[in-house]
Amino acid sequence: MSLRTEELLLNMGPQHPSTHGVLRLVVTLDGENIKDVWPDIGYLHSSVEKMMEYRTYVQNVALTDRGMDYLVALNNEAAYCLAIEALAGVEVPERARYIRVIFQELNRLASHLVWLGTWGIDLGATTVFLWCFRERERILDLFEQVTGGRLHHVYFRIGGVYADLPDGWTGACEAFLDYFLPHVDEYHGLLTQNPIFEARTRGVGVINRRDAVAMGASGPVGRASGIAYDVRKAAPYEVYDRLEFDVPVHTEGDCYARYLVRMEEMRQSVRIVRRALRDLPDGETRTRVPTTMKPPRGEVYVRTESPRGTLGVYAVSDGGETPYRVKIRAPSFTNLYALTEMMKGWKIADVIAILGSTDIVLSDVDR
Amino acid sequence: MSVAERVIRGAAALGTGLGMTFRTMFRPKVTVRYPVEKLPTSHRFHGLLSLPIDPETGKDRCIICFQCERICPDRCIHIEAEGKGKERQLSRFDIEIDKCCYCGLCVEVCPTEAIVFVPQYETSTYNRARLLYSHEDLNRAAPKEPIATGIVSRRHE
Repeated sequence: MSLRTEELLLNMGPQHPSTHGVLRLVVTLDGENIKDVWPDIGYLHSSVEKMMEYRTYVQNVALTDRGMDYLVALNNEAAYCLAIEALAGVEVPERARYIRVIFQELNRLASHLVWLGTWGIDLGATTVFLWCFRERERILDLFEQVTGGRLHHVYFRIGGVYADLPDGWTGACEAFLDYFLPHVDEYHGLLTQNPIFEARTRGVGVINRRDAVAMGASGPVGRASGIAYDVRKAAPYEVYDRLEFDVPVHTEGDCYARYLVRMEEMRQSVRIVRRALRDLPDGETRTRVPTTMKPPRGEVYVRTESPRGTLGVYAVSDGGETPYRVKIRAPSFTNLYALTEMMKGWKIADVIAILGSTDIVLSDVDR
Repeated sequence: MSVAERVIRGAAALGTGLGMTFRTMFRPKVTVRYPVEKLPTSHRFHGLLSLPIDPETGKDRCIICFQCERICPDRCIHIEAEGKGKERQLSRFDIEIDKCCYCGLCVEVCPTEAIVFVPQYETSTYNRARLLYSHEDLNRAAPKEPIATGIVSRRHE
């Protein structure tokens, strides 16, 4: 006698604590095996690209903070400012470039800490969440002293940064880095050797190199599948070509490899910040641009490495006060589609582990 | 891996994890009991906006140049003026603080430092109408004072 089976269509989300935002996953199940996953996005669409067409170039910096990936506001600002600077031919002073690198890397640390903490919760490890947020709070305090904001900064300006670092900030930053590095070892102690964590992540959610390339995966997701590509190395912007750092690459393509890549990236970010603080030159921090700047007609595409992958900004100017078009190539969006490939064939219990390992932010997906 | 090996590995990992969490108990606490205790804000903190009164003139320093109104990305500042020449004065200076995104562009462009941030961040209210800050509300908010009617923080009671 054969058992009558039928496929089950399961809705996960959009209000689900493990989807890291408002994402609806339509999962086709055969028993508890996943046959297909269809991510339904758009719940957090903020039309930031369209809004940018109605605001001046200077005002748009404030939009990149919250309309795009809210966890890495400074990386978004950097991508946007680099694009407009390339469009208008604005020179950025040396000191501002170094400050921008320092802040982007600190934001990378903060973002990876959020990812590690929330992923830990997804996998049932509550301690790591609290510990990660403890360290992240110190980073946000560092941000607050300089930018005035903790999540939304509006610190980078077209032509530099808003204001110079306050007195004693570099010392505080060094102290934080000294405090932070031993804690990375603690996270390793909590998770890396843990058999439960390994059982849930090692060999789970594998995406091979060819599929990762085909799906456009970038950043840690791509690097865990063997794509040795980092915009900071491949096409250095700001002063990344002058700073020493390694790009961790794994070939397994599973959740565990993505975890290891991000953990190593945290150490490398610390290294970059240390080096940049040491080399920090004196001088101006800002080239003044008029508040109603009008870049010449033209178009530009700028790539940067956000903590989630390749963040690109394509800007078109028609010579007016507002951009004609701004298109944002969001890393979370392409990584979300690599997710569909990762999940096929795994169990329903692995959905959350795999989803968390791609580190998507839904405001970045929907924009 | 045999069962015995797995048990030993599991126990060792459990020991590592529990040992670390146990040691954390003896570290200084980092949590703050928020409504009772508060952390100090930095000097550049983007809190609420205000038009502080200049003690010399008894008025605020606004020269009605409309720059803050123009640069605001959320268009939440509304300014109207009456009169000509030296008689010219503000008839309306409202900020819709619920729209404000605390970007600080208005503070940056203000030529006379008339509009400033104050280290005040508790804006919650039960009534949305209270989030429209009038000229008087903004004037009252000299740093470290309650900023708008109905919004009184415990620190200043």
